[in-house]
Amino acid sequence: MSYIVPLLLVFVLVLGLAKRVNVYDSFVLGAKKSINLSWTVFPYLATVFIMVNALHASGLDAWLTKIVAPPFELLGVPREVVQLVLLRPFSGSGSLALLTDVYNSYGVDSYIGRCASVIMGSSETVFYVASVYFAGTHVRHTGWAIPIALFCNFIGAVVGCLLCRIM
Amino acid sequence: MNIVWTVVTALSLLTLTFTHPQSVLTVCLDSCSQAVTATLGLAGIYCLWMGIFEVADKCRLVEGLSRCFEKLNKWLYGNVSKVALQYISLNLASNLLGVGNAATPSAIGAIAEMEHGEKLSRSGAMLFVINASSVQLIPTTVMGLRASLGSADPADILLPNLIATAVTSVVGVALVFCAYGVAK
Repeated sequence: MSYIVPLLLVFVLVLGLAKRVNVYDSFVLGAKKSINLSWTVFPYLATVFIMVNALHASGLDAWLTKIVAPPFELLGVPREVVQLVLLRPFSGSGSLALLTDVYNSYGVDSYIGRCASVIMGSSETVFYVASVYFAGTHVRHTGWAIPIALFCNFIGAVVGCLLCRIM
Repeated sequence: MNIVWTVVTALSLLTLTFTHPQSVLTVCLDSCSQAVTATLGLAGIYCLWMGIFEVADKCRLVEGLSRCFEKLNKWLYGNVSKVALQYISLNLASNLLGVGNAATPSAIGAIAEMEHGEKLSRSGAMLFVINASSVQLIPTTVMGLRASLGSADPADILLPNLIATAVTSVVGVALVFCAYGVAK
């Protein structure tokens, strides 16, 4: 599996050579476009990070976890990973740190640890992705997109925990 | 986004003012510095992938990819421009290969190509949901972390994870069809 991406990179370069494309100039042109993109994304990242870090530092996320844990448990999501489900849409690095905590507290191969793995693998940082994707556009009203994406994360957690119990 | 951000941030900062007043400014400033670091990291990733994509584009590789996924993408997205379809195909290929980092610049390209108004279109919502429900064959980060912490079998979550992501993707696409109707 670890060969796929390296081989892909080499393949594109060799194909460029074979098709007599100016590989060097093309690469520079593409790389140049990335500067603008990064500039556009930056203020959105800063704004989202303020919300995420404030939420975490204030302890409101832990409090919220306590409130929503019982209904989650009813659906088969163990109490110990509820905070991960809640934090995941907001922060990739934050949820990765939380995942490490879960591994260290309950064991990598425990039921809890496996649930946490699948929750992490089958979900996405919805708010972060939204801020990055729509950064360069005039989109202000995202309609159903974010609610649907959040619901997908939730379904992933419920189905993932169920599968971990039987597999 | 406006309401979510303002309410969550204001409530959190208010709580923090009462519990640790000295840390309010630190948290805010740290977040901005963190954004600088993250942006630099992303800039490097975008630089590599956008460079490679440009070469692939000049080789007409992206055009071929776009033809491969044409039927599927027409069904999912309906009538969008040829350029948008190429970005979407590139995005799908990156997601399937598990190179999430490469998926981001192509998705941004597609969104920029498709979205012109203030209201997100059906095709934009579809692309966002497909990316957010993470069509991912191999959860590389999670497996790497499990291996580094001494898991007996880091890959034993592969199957449940694959089924879970497949379920979320199907549910996501189905919900977009419910909310926005069939692609025109």
